Amino acid sequence: MMPGEHRNLIKGLVFISPWIVGFLAFNLYPLIASIWFSLCDYSVLSQPVFLGVQNYVDLWHDPVFWKALRNTVVFALVAIPLSSFLSIGLAVLLNQPIAGQGIYRTIFFLPSLVPAISLAILWQWMLNGPMGLVNNLVRPFLNIINAVCGSHLQAPDWLNDPNFALGGLILTGLWGTGQAVVIYLAGLQEIPLELYEAAELDGTSAWQRFLHVTLPMLSPVIFFNVLMSIIGALQTFAVPYILTGGGDGPGRSLLFLATYIYQNAFDYWNMGYASALALCLFVLIIALSLVSVRYGEKKVHYSGR
Amino acid sequence: MKPTRSSVPWFTRVALILLGVLFLLPFFWMVSTSLKPLNETMKLPPQWLPSSPQWNNYPDAMRAMGPFWLYARNSLLLAFLNVIGTVFSSALVAYGFSRLDWRGRDACFFVLLATMMIPFPVVMVPIYGLFKAVGWIGTFQPLWVPAFLAGAFNVFLLRQFFLSIPRDLSEAARIDGCSEFRIFWQIILPLAKPALLTVALFQFMATWNDFLGPLIFLARENQYTLALGLQALQGTISGTPWHHLMAASTLVLLPVLVLFFLTQRTFIRGIATTGLK
Amino acid sequence: MKSISRPVSILRILGCTALFVLAACSPKEDRRVSGRLVLEYWEKWTGFERDAMARVVDDFNDSQDRIFVRFLSVSRIDQKMMLATAGGVPPDVAGLWAINLPSYAENNALMPMDRLVRDSGIREEDYLPVFWKLCRYRNFLWALPSTPSVTALHWNKKMFREAGLDPEQPPRTIAELESFNEKLTRKNADGSLAQIGHMPQEPGWWMHDFPSWFGGASWDGGTQLLLDAAPNRHFFAWLESYPKRFGGPAMYQLRGAFGNFASPDNPFFNGKVGMIMQGVWMNNFIKNYAPAGFEYGVAAFPEETEHPGAPMTVAETDILVIPAGAHHPKEAMEFIAFVERQKNMENLCLGQRKISPLRRVSSEFVKNHSHPYLRTFLQLANSPRAQPTLALPTFKEYANDLTTYVNLVLLGRMPAEQARGEMLGRQQKALDAKLSRWNQVAPVRVSRWEAEIQP
Repeated sequence: MMPGEHRNLIKGLVFISPWIVGFLAFNLYPLIASIWFSLCDYSVLSQPVFLGVQNYVDLWHDPVFWKALRNTVVFALVAIPLSSFLSIGLAVLLNQPIAGQGIYRTIFFLPSLVPAISLAILWQWMLNGPMGLVNNLVRPFLNIINAVCGSHLQAPDWLNDPNFALGGLILTGLWGTGQAVVIYLAGLQEIPLELYEAAELDGTSAWQRFLHVTLPMLSPVIFFNVLMSIIGALQTFAVPYILTGGGDGPGRSLLFLATYIYQNAFDYWNMGYASALALCLFVLIIALSLVSVRYGEKKVHYSGR
Repeated sequence: MKPTRSSVPWFTRVALILLGVLFLLPFFWMVSTSLKPLNETMKLPPQWLPSSPQWNNYPDAMRAMGPFWLYARNSLLLAFLNVIGTVFSSALVAYGFSRLDWRGRDACFFVLLATMMIPFPVVMVPIYGLFKAVGWIGTFQPLWVPAFLAGAFNVFLLRQFFLSIPRDLSEAARIDGCSEFRIFWQIILPLAKPALLTVALFQFMATWNDFLGPLIFLARENQYTLALGLQALQGTISGTPWHHLMAASTLVLLPVLVLFFLTQRTFIRGIATTGLK
Repeated sequence: MKSISRPVSILRILGCTALFVLAACSPKEDRRVSGRLVLEYWEKWTGFERDAMARVVDDFNDSQDRIFVRFLSVSRIDQKMMLATAGGVPPDVAGLWAINLPSYAENNALMPMDRLVRDSGIREEDYLPVFWKLCRYRNFLWALPSTPSVTALHWNKKMFREAGLDPEQPPRTIAELESFNEKLTRKNADGSLAQIGHMPQEPGWWMHDFPSWFGGASWDGGTQLLLDAAPNRHFFAWLESYPKRFGGPAMYQLRGAFGNFASPDNPFFNGKVGMIMQGVWMNNFIKNYAPAGFEYGVAAFPEETEHPGAPMTVAETDILVIPAGAHHPKEAMEFIAFVERQKNMENLCLGQRKISPLRRVSSEFVKNHSHPYLRTFLQLANSPRAQPTLALPTFKEYANDLTTYVNLVLLGRMPAEQARGEMLGRQQKALDAKLSRWNQVAPVRVSRWEAEIQP
């Protein structure tokens, strides 16, 4: 190693030293300890007792784990595309030079500022079957449909019906999509105007411009947001936890892996089992992230490449 | 699509207004409920406006939460420490990952990106044990010390920004004999203001609303934050006092709302400049 | 027992040193106020229940000048106390629920109180047997009762009259409860429910104890859950009959519109539900929130088979405990003993509008207690058939599962037999796991506890 190179290495390490300490204390050690705990029977107040792979065997045979896993994946697969469409759409609208832009931006960003407790409780109520606001908006439409088709559709009792509870949660999530909107908006502002002007000269329609200019230019941001949403959605915890009062929701329809981990760790004091569950969640996140990176690499358009 | 001001089509306006109303509805409900007497909160069909606004709900809710101003002080203190810590440490680390060349840098950066995928539940239990071992359970330290150790997401954002600053700037300074830290502090940081502001704002909101951290690490009531204090209002045997809860939520939301409204332009530009590519 | 393996411990040391380097010295609280030892006491109560205890704490602080009790309301106290104890910063005294006791004791979170209680002159004979029983687990005494409760049927007399029933004649068996139920239930024109006579999920706070009214508990107190025995079979079949008769979604629809418990819109007060299971505090809410002239009666909740003479009830109690690792157990016990004195206990229970856990009841207590049915509750608490609530070491898992399965059955989404079977499979396994964990640590643990309680 050249002396200069050596000096650079030292310099680099000094600059990133806060991260190295954080990485050792809050990532590497906990990860390894988690792996160890997942092989033990462990409640916080006594020493871990080695069990071997028992926790993983139990987990394999635990239908509630599978249910939580299924809910988690379904939630991610439904909620991420929906919120992506909504937030891209909103970002495009918000990028228009329209009067009161700042106010609109604040309105759409506002929900992501609401503390999880308030958000959950507000929606507990919005989704109330007989008197929730959501059903009061839905009912007139259902009445029209029922009148036209002669059907007997009824507004659902969102949070008490195993078939609708997840839908209710997704609605809640869509409302809180503001952070993604802001990031898309920032991405849109990066797109050079000349591209649009050139496209306009070619006589393309607004929709074509969206498809052929906006989307490709926005694709790195979409990729970034989707990756972040995957990581976030798979860890969904606070809102469903409060929405169900710490429980599982009707027919366990609002039980997610993160909730189940929390219950096992801090309600049942099965830290070992909680660690095994948590590592499964980790593997799931890595797997889905890798899939999206693989897929994204092919699709994402990087300018200047 | 970046049409000129005159050519915003009418349906764009209509869509924006409709969606805006839809997004505002829950807030409207929140504020209207915060001003209702309890017996009007559960009316069937729902009542849009209180028959007469109960301004007393606000002081009552603050009393019901416990020492409101103490919680507010705790929240502010933690938010302040977290913002300072994150901005400074993340910038430092991002600098090391972007403007210095050293062996193994890219491998390390890859590890940093990978840590973003470690879900909090995985590390929650051992981290608890760690803080217990150093005797920090029941103190504020677990809630702000980690912020001084850089967050992966913020390092990523800032690194993207630092990469976009021309290399020549620091080369010139280096030739003049500037120390690396001075280059970071006096040349790069001032240029990075919008990006730093973005990181600060993200961190402020995250800390302000954090619920799980204070729930797990704090023991004494007098250390509670506003987000945790809100929880004390949630269901007791007597049921949830909806009107108080909504009044308290409005109060907790207000500072962040004002902060965002005032900074939104810089905020969005800040994200834009990081590029995310 | 194997401790953390080598590489992990090296990493742990690294991690800890990293933290120590950064650590500002953590502030140590001053535990003395003007020469008095400060005890921290955590309670779950808020509102008037908190105020009642605050008065007793003030009395204690005024009664002597060595100890000062600092009284704090803590939300989610069961979780917080466990975490604080694990973190080495437990309070000196905590107010929990008796149902938490077994899991706390087995998890090493409590201090056995046998010796401390004996030394303070408190005796088993001072208490109603069922409440004393609730404080014991695995042959140790872990707590003393604070404010107890027993459950009873409450019925709305006006609704009885309107349905052509005798308002002074409550149902005496489950079968009668159900025939009254059908008479009390009214439907709207569109088929939805306008009011119902009884539904198990309102208020649904004692779901885990319901099998007791069908002839037996859900746990043998040892290794076996009794979900396969007749009482649970009958309980689940009873649940299943509800969606068949009233419609599952219809019941939840009705329930969705219920107002807050502590409000005039409480479904029992506004005539949406005619018969409920409730405790002695209910009278206070009725006085504060029910419409003027609201008439109700209280009697033992009906059993599947009638037992004339000895009424059935399920008892539970709030408890005072000393967490493991608390620094001043003797002083903590002094405070608890003060609360347990008849005069102070009666002040507390009067303030919270509950009954006293003590065997002796003063005439002032009866006189000052404004509850018209106080005698009924005292009779229930004194009954030889008063059962302790289901205090399982896996209570939280059990209760959480039960909520899920009961909801599915009440919605009509799952046959009762399937729900009961799944519940049994899961919960027996959870109990087995807890017990095998316990068996591994029991010898060490028990001998240490025994040493602790030696005179």
